Amino acid sequence: MEILKEIAAHVENGRNNEVRVLVGKCMEEGIGVSDILNLGLVAGMNSIGIRFRNNEVFVPEVLMAARAMKSGLEMIKPILLKEKVPSKGTIIIGTVLGDLHDIGKNIVCYMLQGAGFDVIDIGIDVPKEKFIEAARNHGAQIIALSSLLSTTMSYMKEVMEAVRASEIAGTVKVIVGGAPVTQAFADEIGAHGYASDASGAAEIVKGLIG
Amino acid sequence: MNGRERIRTALSIQEPDRVPVYIHGINEAPIIGIGRQITDGLPDPKEFREMNDREKGKLLDTLFLIHENFGIDGFTSFEIGHEKIVDAAHVADDWGVLYTRSIHGLPVATGHPVQNPGDIDTFTPPRPDRNHLLLLDLGRDRFKGEKALFWLMRGTFVRSWRLMGMENLMIQMYDNPEFVHRVARMVTDYSLEQLDMLADAGLDVLVVEDDIADKHSPLISPRHFVEFIKPYNTELVEKAHRMGLKAVAHSDGNLWPLLDIMIETGYNGLNPLEPQAGMELKKLKAYCGDRLCLVGNIDCIDLLSNGTPEEVDEAVRQAIADAATGGGYILCDSNSLHPGVHPLNCIAMFEAAKKYGAGKS
Repeated sequence: MEILKEIAAHVENGRNNEVRVLVGKCMEEGIGVSDILNLGLVAGMNSIGIRFRNNEVFVPEVLMAARAMKSGLEMIKPILLKEKVPSKGTIIIGTVLGDLHDIGKNIVCYMLQGAGFDVIDIGIDVPKEKFIEAARNHGAQIIALSSLLSTTMSYMKEVMEAVRASEIAGTVKVIVGGAPVTQAFADEIGAHGYASDASGAAEIVKGLIG
Repeated sequence: MNGRERIRTALSIQEPDRVPVYIHGINEAPIIGIGRQITDGLPDPKEFREMNDREKGKLLDTLFLIHENFGIDGFTSFEIGHEKIVDAAHVADDWGVLYTRSIHGLPVATGHPVQNPGDIDTFTPPRPDRNHLLLLDLGRDRFKGEKALFWLMRGTFVRSWRLMGMENLMIQMYDNPEFVHRVARMVTDYSLEQLDMLADAGLDVLVVEDDIADKHSPLISPRHFVEFIKPYNTELVEKAHRMGLKAVAHSDGNLWPLLDIMIETGYNGLNPLEPQAGMELKKLKAYCGDRLCLVGNIDCIDLLSNGTPEEVDEAVRQAIADAATGGGYILCDSNSLHPGVHPLNCIAMFEAAKKYGAGKS
């Protein structure tokens, strides 16, 4: 449908107002919210994610796209809830204890939201108990851990051990990422997934939940 | 040659008598760890702010001793006294930026006083304070021209995002570019005024610390970099040159997409050249070694933290082989000597630089 392609293009180009106008038009015309979400908003974020991964666009462009995506999502959210459109999955995300950096984690949030997941951002400097509590309370399938510093990266291992020892072990998978984190480190601590960049995180989650 | 001559020669892309060595940044723990190999009476590792006056004096003297004993050619200084403690977890600088300390003591800017265009109309920026240059004065008086004096000055991007918040700055680049330029103008005027004081105090090398990349790519596009960052940092570099100083750019991460622009800015050197971010010495030397002095690249994430002194020795040998031919290389770690590095590996780095660096430039 042409209007959904237009929404996707406007999301990709970070055109907030145009997205709102077109989403409103779709709703008036009775186009299904699942289509608006998946063929419009998610498609636009998917495109920007690919371009971000290829270094064709940078963080500001992702932020603009995410803002456009979220403005459209806010409009259709009440109907998504009312129609009980099933979520693709719920992800708890946070920067681990001792680490106060948030931009990398925020970009991953936007990419995951843009891929159609429900994302619960529990912030920075997050202790292991809070990750587990949030996953339990929200019935999450994924816990995503972020760290910018090699000194705080080691705390990811503590979170992994706490998850394994908790009642959510077996139902929740843990993914890790951030500047100092590597696949080798993820393997060493037994994480279920590692992504080297934000759009990679969305792909990993699709693989783990899908 | 003394250290100062060595550094200035390398930054001029000429051949010093040996490859110069520089410590860009060093935390309390490695000062104490390395220092214990050469002096007694050091406290157990803890943050500077938790030390008493005797311990602070000993730590500073040990930092000087490390530079003297291991033949470090440049001494880094930076602003001190510009922050005030707000409470146990927060400090604020003289711009009103609030920093939250993590449990590891590392402060991260979390409170930003200039978030909207209206804020800047009522915002009064601080004036540079001569008293904040104390560390530079102490280094100058200690080394008496034997070592090059470096100053770490925050660049336009870092100063701007700390005032505005990083995501907000990036959004405003699209929503209100004039606002971004006004903030950049304001912070640059401060830096230019401070540069007068620094030159009077005997500075040799201005380091424009402007972290703008992660290991994959720059955070902002080359187009935005040219529009919002380059003109202002160019003013700093050009003024430094007019005053007879050298200028080095510092940014972590993969800078390849910005490299030509940074060369156009007029920097003499580039630091820290993270190997994990694709900043390979050999490739850099081939691409711009005749225009830019390469400063760094000895891996402080894995090698200096988890490697052996023998592995460090080999990495230094390789770095010198890759980058020092014809001059234009200053040996330095790939970011800083942080609390995770092993003191004996740092010493191995200093000693290998002298072993392989003599007559190899």
